[in-house]
Amino acid sequence: MTPRERLGSVLVYVALALAILLSLFPFWWMVDTSLKRPVDIFSGVALWPQQITFDNYARLMNDYHFGSYLLNSLVVVTASVAISLAIGTLAAYALARFRLRFGVRQMALYLVLLVRMLPGILLVVPLYIVLAGWGLLNTRLGLILIYAGLNTSFVVWMMQSFLEEIPRDIEEAAMVDGDSRLTALWRVVVPLAAPGLIATAIFTVIATYNDFIIALTLTSTPAAQTIPVGVSTLIGKIEIQWGPMAAAGVVGALPIVIFALAVQRHFVRGLTFGAVK
Amino acid sequence: MAVALKAGEEKESRARQLRAAAVPYLLLLPAILALAAVSLYPTFDGVRASLRKFRYAIDVGFAGGENFVNVYGDAVFWQAIWTTVKFVAIAVSIETLLGLILALLVARELRFSGLIRVSLILPMTIAPVVVGVIWRLLYASDIGVVDPLFQLLGLGTPNVLAHPTSAFLGLVAVDVWEWTPLLFLIILAGLHSLPQDPIEAARVDGASALQTFFHHTLPLLRPVLLVAVVLRTIDAVGTFDQIYVLTKGGPGTATQLISIYAYNTAFLFNQYGRAMAMLISLLACLLLLMAAAVHFMRRSSEIAE
Repeated sequence: MTPRERLGSVLVYVALALAILLSLFPFWWMVDTSLKRPVDIFSGVALWPQQITFDNYARLMNDYHFGSYLLNSLVVVTASVAISLAIGTLAAYALARFRLRFGVRQMALYLVLLVRMLPGILLVVPLYIVLAGWGLLNTRLGLILIYAGLNTSFVVWMMQSFLEEIPRDIEEAAMVDGDSRLTALWRVVVPLAAPGLIATAIFTVIATYNDFIIALTLTSTPAAQTIPVGVSTLIGKIEIQWGPMAAAGVVGALPIVIFALAVQRHFVRGLTFGAVK
Repeated sequence: MAVALKAGEEKESRARQLRAAAVPYLLLLPAILALAAVSLYPTFDGVRASLRKFRYAIDVGFAGGENFVNVYGDAVFWQAIWTTVKFVAIAVSIETLLGLILALLVARELRFSGLIRVSLILPMTIAPVVVGVIWRLLYASDIGVVDPLFQLLGLGTPNVLAHPTSAFLGLVAVDVWEWTPLLFLIILAGLHSLPQDPIEAARVDGASALQTFFHHTLPLLRPVLLVAVVLRTIDAVGTFDQIYVLTKGGPGTATQLISIYAYNTAFLFNQYGRAMAMLISLLACLLLLMAAAVHFMRRSSEIAE
């Protein structure tokens, strides 16, 4: 390395270090605030809690219904992801393996992209009217059905590319051995596509767990509200409870951050949905 | 008798063939129904609602073009559109530039590149509501970090969210923090898939790094950049969660994007028809953008092949 090249690479690392600081410090400030006592929160910029306390987290559970929000999120996310994985994988299989006529393939892919691109605010007014008509406002079932539909878009998109990577010979061999196509799909293809399926599931879980506007408009009490809506209820008040709000933010972010660290590579594939194959 | 039997067999095998041919369409059906139920149906129903009159959230009859006339004659609507356009244009430009710079920095061989990448993309992975909470904590004048930092630099205390211009710029900054990672990721993927030969050749010919970048890398990267910008633009137009958490559109109407105005119209004032007239107009613009996105995506995948 010439001195000039060395200088260049030092500058690159300095620039990246700065970018990482800007990227991560805001997270730390939230964690920091959530572990402080109220008196310490107001005592100026302290980059480390003067005295660590978990009171703010306890108050979330006791005073702010976070137990219900967590349960609702868990039920809604699990059920909607399961449904969308099932119907989305079947569709992805059809797209990956068959020559479809009548422009069905194009239609399916356009629908997938349309669902990906429609902004939430555009969907919620009509969905609100529909769910009100069916008596499904403020129910977990209403949220499950809508998220299942929205998530199918992710699942079809991702599973199609995973399934295309699996050689046809393997399932054809199974079919020669007497399996029907669906049995072959279930016994042979799905286990082979398991890593892709898991990545898709994780990504779908995150998208659903993070959604706000649909849950905000279609639910109204802790009986059906999810975590992000719960977090937002801590903000509307005239006097903001900074400690519990920070703790709520941590609860909202933690599962996602853990997933992101655990499954980086697949994660990236999901994040760039629609832009990169 | 034998002939009849044969005809029966043929019929049966044709039925079997037909059934086999139907399999893929049957596999697709549930997904297509589900997708249509959450996209086409709400869109059509929204168009219908935009032509109806609602009073106290109850449909009281056909309104014709009244909602659209009201919306287009409403100064606040145009203000919201203008705020949205400004917000999207400024935020997406900065995000694209920063994303490109970061991608170029990370694209070369680096130590800890996996760790660096995941640190840089964390902001876009968490719930937008949490992003709002984080920045509420940073911007707060009494418990935040931004005001003390400005004070340290001798720039006074901005109290970002309390004043119209600073609140708007503060929200742009939040968007940049959250979404630069997306541009970074897409551009990085684009850089990795570029053909290396012309770039290498230019370097061997003695072109400087900057010359190589502007004459070779950037033109090759153009399709990927276009897709990324169009996608991000479509998403940015719908920005809602962070603004709802941070300013609810205020102070005054300084940060009232079209999504916030439509939300208030529908759920605060129960004017569903009017809200849908706004959103249908917005959808028309978005569909044009989507058509552009699909067009560029086709082109970029052709180039990739």
